[in-house]
Amino acid sequence: MESASGGFLSGEMPPAGPSRRRARKGLSALQRRRMLEDWAFILPQLIVFVGLTIVPFIIAIPMLFTDIAQFNDPQINWVGLHNFKAIFVDRGVQADYVPALRRTLTFVALNYTTVYIFGLSLALLMYEVGFRGGFFTVVYLPLMVSGLAVGYMAVMLFSQETGTANQLLMELNLIKKGIDIYSPGGTMFLLPLLVGWRYAGYNMAIFLSGLLSIPEETIESAVVDGASYLQRLTRIYFPQMWPSFILATTMCLIGSFAVFDELVALGALYVNPEANLLSTLFFIYGFQVERLGQGMTMAVETFLPLVFLGAALQRLQRRLQY
Amino acid sequence: MARADILEKLETTREPVFTASRRKRLLRVFATVLMVVYSLLTLFPFYALFVRSFVPTKEASDLHLWLPEVEEVRLEAEVGNLAVFYDMDTADLKDALGIPQTEFLGARTTLEEIVEEYDIPEEQMRDYFAGFYRYNGWNTLLLGDLYGTTFWACLGRTLLVTLASLVVLITLSIFTGYGLAGLQRKDQMAVYNIYLLQMIIPAMLILLPQYQLFQWIFRLFPTYPEKGFTRWALQLLALILINIKGTALSTMIFVSAISGIPKDLEDSAMIDGASRLQYVRHVLFPLVKVPIVSLIVIQMPLIYNQFLQPYVYLDPANSTLLPFIQSAVGQFSTNFQVIYSAIFASVVPMVIVYLLFRRMFVEGVLAGAIKG
Repeated sequence: MESASGGFLSGEMPPAGPSRRRARKGLSALQRRRMLEDWAFILPQLIVFVGLTIVPFIIAIPMLFTDIAQFNDPQINWVGLHNFKAIFVDRGVQADYVPALRRTLTFVALNYTTVYIFGLSLALLMYEVGFRGGFFTVVYLPLMVSGLAVGYMAVMLFSQETGTANQLLMELNLIKKGIDIYSPGGTMFLLPLLVGWRYAGYNMAIFLSGLLSIPEETIESAVVDGASYLQRLTRIYFPQMWPSFILATTMCLIGSFAVFDELVALGALYVNPEANLLSTLFFIYGFQVERLGQGMTMAVETFLPLVFLGAALQRLQRRLQY
Repeated sequence: MARADILEKLETTREPVFTASRRKRLLRVFATVLMVVYSLLTLFPFYALFVRSFVPTKEASDLHLWLPEVEEVRLEAEVGNLAVFYDMDTADLKDALGIPQTEFLGARTTLEEIVEEYDIPEEQMRDYFAGFYRYNGWNTLLLGDLYGTTFWACLGRTLLVTLASLVVLITLSIFTGYGLAGLQRKDQMAVYNIYLLQMIIPAMLILLPQYQLFQWIFRLFPTYPEKGFTRWALQLLALILINIKGTALSTMIFVSAISGIPKDLEDSAMIDGASRLQYVRHVLFPLVKVPIVSLIVIQMPLIYNQFLQPYVYLDPANSTLLPFIQSAVGQFSTNFQVIYSAIFASVVPMVIVYLLFRRMFVEGVLAGAIKG
């Protein structure tokens, strides 16, 4: 599947053959018919996709310049660039935005390390010991659980008084006082841990398929030549796994900024401001405090640079992969 | 080379070879131990959740690693406290004990007083409360209703949405893959790149305008504001549309798989008089089973576990499973037994499917992973 189509995914046109030359002059009737039929197959899903992904972008644009407070707001006024300037000049908005941004960036950084702590380590472990279906099944299991349930499981384990893990650790005399998941430190530490744990199987699969695509001869010859494990890692494995690293980075970056369900479970919308990251802040602005226009604008200001970064990473990955 | 030299060389080479294999074996043991430890740590939260769904809230501050022994209810307990602890309806209590509904039970009335006043055997009283001790959470969740719906109705809606979304998503994605197969023309490449955008657009960025768009569409239906079939059908339809819109992954795996199928197959089907639609149904479909499985195992948990969109789009009375769980957590915020029963119940169906089809999941995920 992979090799048969690799060339098509590279994003380049196939070498100019007779068909391409003809295309320049104009399509034959047969080709034109083929193209129309292709579009009949493409259109049903494309309409839904464009309608729900691209069109929202377009209808959002005028709303960014208004004081629209809620959906179906009857009274809307133009406010120019006010919404865009708010995160730089408006104290009230800054008081919401800046702490959420700080928490989000901390979370992204910590979450990115869990990609390696869980995903890469488990993939290397599995690669060295040999593929174990049972182990894969267990590592991938948390991905079957919703972010909401994972969040509540963390609350169950790490509530200060009633957390099962806390009680167990205290019983074993490993800690004196229970970890409080609702405290600033507790939230910031446990959140990336539980997200990393949940996605461990996914990241492991990404790295594992990177490892499995390395030609075995290169590894064998390195082993015969007496390369140590560390040398093998840095000289043989990692350089050939670049597409996996970039894919994992892209997914983690986009995923970390979009994390939502886990935060709701940790009480971000009501009781625990420490779990309030940017995604929940935009949600609150849109659905709870009636500042829809401002919320949308902040979402665009925050995410648009990310979309460009993601697009750049995607291009890089595709170029490296084939 | 003299015989002695060879022997000497053998001596010197045998040593490192031996240690290397022993080190390798040690490394394998070490790695296996790590795997087992990680597996146990991964499974522990599930086990703890199972146990906690049976632990009464008032014992939540004690460590429970096994199901709790059933504790007999103390007859000095006050009805008001029990009602709060167990989310018990005093009307049900009166029914079960044969007390007329017209009688008033004060919050501070003790069970002892009830036993004396209405001449009820103590045993009957204890039996009634025994069920509450362990199964209060499960009873409340599975038998009760909340905001005009029940756990089972929500589970049904979730299964409906998941199934409908997957069937339509697969059909449309195969069409897309077939229409784009080869990626030889500029228009095909452009469409393909549009789908790749999905991977890098965070759901949160389009959530608000997407919701606004659907509000406009809903308002075209005059009966939408009233509670009823139209409203609920439209809300579920919105959810399904969001799920079937196609992703970078769905497009990539089908374009890639269908591009790999020899063109001769299509030509011979055409010569035999098949239309392109017939070719897709009878020839292509059986050939893309592997990517179909890949897509199912990646999308099914995502759709089943969807929270944000149904939370926003669906009325509480028309909810799917996860928003219902969130409502239950809000409603029973002091009753951990109900909360953990609800969480555990939401996890079980997907985990069962996963364990039944684990081979497909492992293979499908590995095949799909490299594509993102």
